[in-house]
Amino acid sequence: MRWATRRGCHVDRAACAWLIRRHLDDDPAFVFVDDPADVPGDATPFDMRGVDLAHHGDDCTFETILRRYHLDDPVLWDLARLVHEADLADDRYDAPEAHGLDVICRGLSMVADDDTVLAITAPMFDGLYEYRRRALMLGREPS
Amino acid sequence: MVSESSAKWVLLAYRIPREPSTPRISVWRKLRKLGVGHLVDGLVALPLDARNQERLEWIADEVLEAGGHASIWVAQSTTASQERDLARQMGDAVAVEYRALTDAARDAAGLPPPQRRRTLARLRREAQRIRGRDYFSVAEADAARAALADLGHAAEEVAR
Repeated sequence: MRWATRRGCHVDRAACAWLIRRHLDDDPAFVFVDDPADVPGDATPFDMRGVDLAHHGDDCTFETILRRYHLDDPVLWDLARLVHEADLADDRYDAPEAHGLDVICRGLSMVADDDTVLAITAPMFDGLYEYRRRALMLGREPS
Repeated sequence: MVSESSAKWVLLAYRIPREPSTPRISVWRKLRKLGVGHLVDGLVALPLDARNQERLEWIADEVLEAGGHASIWVAQSTTASQERDLARQMGDAVAVEYRALTDAARDAAGLPPPQRRRTLARLRREAQRIRGRDYFSVAEADAARAALADLGHAAEEVAR
């Protein structure tokens, strides 16, 4: 399937692309556009203005996708807190790692194009997922 | 302060119904957190960059979802003085916050060590939030940074 989002991937878009690849689509192709009007007809747009898979109320796009696709894995929702705070920093959640995650993604987008950002952040989100999975299982930070 | 008058701004023009008040307050809170400059009622501005534009765009969508009107524009001031006024208004608001933070950090120096460390952690988070809306690097940031550093040194002394 084809998925479209706007150019300049930061934390929310990178996390969404990872989520799509790991949980929604085995072989996704990502298209980056500047204007919502440029989204190809066969692509599902996300994290763009005026589309369904975007910010809604206080939710960032990662949270919206979890809701729309009924992904109720508690580890994904735990990651969502991190993505939410990294993207919005509205103190809805206590996620002290978020600022660091935001800085890493912003720095990456300064030196790499969108395809590269997605390629680099995918294993990073795999690792974060595994870390949070173990943390939830143990009830404390894993060593 | 802004060094040249050719800086670009991203503007959000919006009108949101008075009732229900929940979405209106949510929008107001988000704009406040971003530290937008207010040009007139319903017209706010941030220095133009991709991130600020995106943040205002999400708020615009929220206004639309609440049944209001919203549009996003990129603009340039035609005179240096009106741009300075806008930057000053935004800088003054941030300066007030930095001064309060500086006072709080100095007051915390007299607290017992455990409380001092908790206050330090809280004030550091607060400083990070303020920096997020300090678009013009106001001078008051230095005093706040120094006051936090002093408090941090005091906390480290105890830890040793």
